[in-house]
Amino acid sequence: MTIKKAVIRWEFALLLMLFAEIIVFGLFNSDFFDFFSIVYSLNDVVYIGLAAIPMTYVIITGGIDVSIGSIMGLSSISVGVMWSSGTDIWLAVLLALVVGMAAGAVNGALVAFTGVQPLVVTLGTMFLFSGIALVISGGSNAQGYEGISGFPDSFVQLANGSLLGLPNPVLIFIVAGAAFGVLLHTTRYGRNVYLVGINAKTARYSGLPTRWLIMSTYLLCGLGASISGIVLSSYFSSARSDLGSESVLPVITAVVLGGTSITGGKGTVFGTAVASLFIGLMQYGLQMIDMSSQQTSIVIGSVLIITVAFRQLPWHRFRSGHASRAKASS
Amino acid sequence: MSVISKLFKARELSVFLFLIAYLLLVGIVNPSILYGESLSSLLNNSVILILLALGQCYVLLTGEIDVSVGSIMGLSAVACGSLLLAGIPVLVMTPLVLLCGMLVGLINGLGVTLLRIPSIIMTLGTLGTIRGIMLTITDGKWIEDIPHAYKQLASVKLMGINIVVWISVLLLLGAHFFLMRTRYGRYFYAVGDNPGGAHLLGIPVKRMKLAAFVVSGGTSALAGLCFVMNIGFVPNQTGSGLELSAIAAAVLGGVSLAGGLGTALGAGIGAIFLTLISSSLVFLKIEAYWNNAISGLLLLIIVISDNQLQKWGEKKRAHDHAAQLASARPEFPGAKLQQNQNRGASS
Repeated sequence: MTIKKAVIRWEFALLLMLFAEIIVFGLFNSDFFDFFSIVYSLNDVVYIGLAAIPMTYVIITGGIDVSIGSIMGLSSISVGVMWSSGTDIWLAVLLALVVGMAAGAVNGALVAFTGVQPLVVTLGTMFLFSGIALVISGGSNAQGYEGISGFPDSFVQLANGSLLGLPNPVLIFIVAGAAFGVLLHTTRYGRNVYLVGINAKTARYSGLPTRWLIMSTYLLCGLGASISGIVLSSYFSSARSDLGSESVLPVITAVVLGGTSITGGKGTVFGTAVASLFIGLMQYGLQMIDMSSQQTSIVIGSVLIITVAFRQLPWHRFRSGHASRAKASS
Repeated sequence: MSVISKLFKARELSVFLFLIAYLLLVGIVNPSILYGESLSSLLNNSVILILLALGQCYVLLTGEIDVSVGSIMGLSAVACGSLLLAGIPVLVMTPLVLLCGMLVGLINGLGVTLLRIPSIIMTLGTLGTIRGIMLTITDGKWIEDIPHAYKQLASVKLMGINIVVWISVLLLLGAHFFLMRTRYGRYFYAVGDNPGGAHLLGIPVKRMKLAAFVVSGGTSALAGLCFVMNIGFVPNQTGSGLELSAIAAAVLGGVSLAGGLGTALGAGIGAIFLTLISSSLVFLKIEAYWNNAISGLLLLIIVISDNQLQKWGEKKRAHDHAAQLASARPEFPGAKLQQNQNRGASS
């Protein structure tokens, strides 16, 4: 119960930080108080949130997936290659989602059924998937990093259009956040994911198919990365094999900043979503007050360390007390 | 115990045999890879990865991880370049750059030990911060016109092999000896294998972890120095992405991410192997864009088959033990894994 309370408190703190951020930046630039200006600025960073939300599942089970950047590139180039070889664009998008899920399933199967550490497995598949993406793009004469462009307008509108006054990427982000949030927090499947992260042995002894559960989280993560990659290709209206290759670290940063414990068992979709927005607005705001993008990464890196250190302090006292009691009794 | 199961235990030996086998296999297709010239250029190209994997090995042994090495290398390369351009002599510049790298390592270590931040998060934070600082110093520009005298150092040879290669190989062997044969070296293993037990034995767990991060920072700085020497300029993305290659090299060489398992020599061989894979493509006349796919596939195959063989070996050993000594408590497979999971949950 205390754990749950603390998580709620953390997300509350995060929301406060988000508001404080808006107010501080608003003092420098009144555009920040304009709702639509903020919403449109989010377009640039929504792709991090789209990948980070399902990543929360993986980290809750105690795993990690560093191959998502490669899956983003793989999905992007898949759409491009399939479309340029005459497939209908929406069929190509659908197939690219399947490719992303298949890549996630490969990760999940290797993690769940071989017992090799998730970081090692996904490190290997990171090279493998980005390699496959490069091979596909090289084999189809999409020379090197130039990519495939010239998509039909309907596809470009996917990330550049708007509906009900809200830009499409933000809508996709809200829908994905709601869907993944409901799945994690209100269904039996979601509870089982938590149990695997809290205590995999207990989960197995109570009859849960732990391996399949672990595998499914990586599959969802692949799906998320795939959606993110497709949105990004539509946003830039260009499909490239290296799209998203730099996004692994911001995505993990968003999940961890959102309150998910890197050792598993703890975390919420809402926290990840708020943290993604926090990071996104931070980038946008710092650029608005004339900071270069490199200085932005100093601030974001420091914010990550400071917030986690801050969160870590009281927690450790609780944990160590707990651990020493356990030791004394054994 | 049979020779085979001993072989599985000496992981660096099996990786080395794997490396030789791969080399010979490529040699069948194109013998020119076996010429002295190609082999020495292979070693030359591996230097940076060897150094990074060596530092990473110390950190991994203590059960932590350092994903900031690429950034530290980049920062050191920038520091090296700017100091040289400012006319500071090499003998003064080198210790300054090494100190700078070790300082970042110290910050990582303090965050992990003092503030108790999980190492992956701490070093993720410094990864971004340090890269930002590096780019702020250079203003996003490349550093060019490195003095010729410094670049010349890269081609100084001793017995046909570059002095830089000598230095890194000697460092590697020294580290291997230190970790395997000295008391303090063994402490690194003890800390990673069982931090609680190490603490009870009076081993300064936190100080060892701190030392591991400082070593990692130092070797990353050294890698930055070598980079500037070899390349002759400093692009603004220097070292980015290398952190994952360094971890992959160490893992390929048999260093376990769970801590307490692996050797420095293994990490070095892993680094040479990774470099060999990418440079062998030229000899096999395969287009360069296949590099990642092949490296990733080989990494997965080696790590997973090794893991399965170890499990099989342990099961067999446990079975033999149980048969021989009914009174002896058999070691059950997966004990190490569970122990680590427990540790992960309590830290």
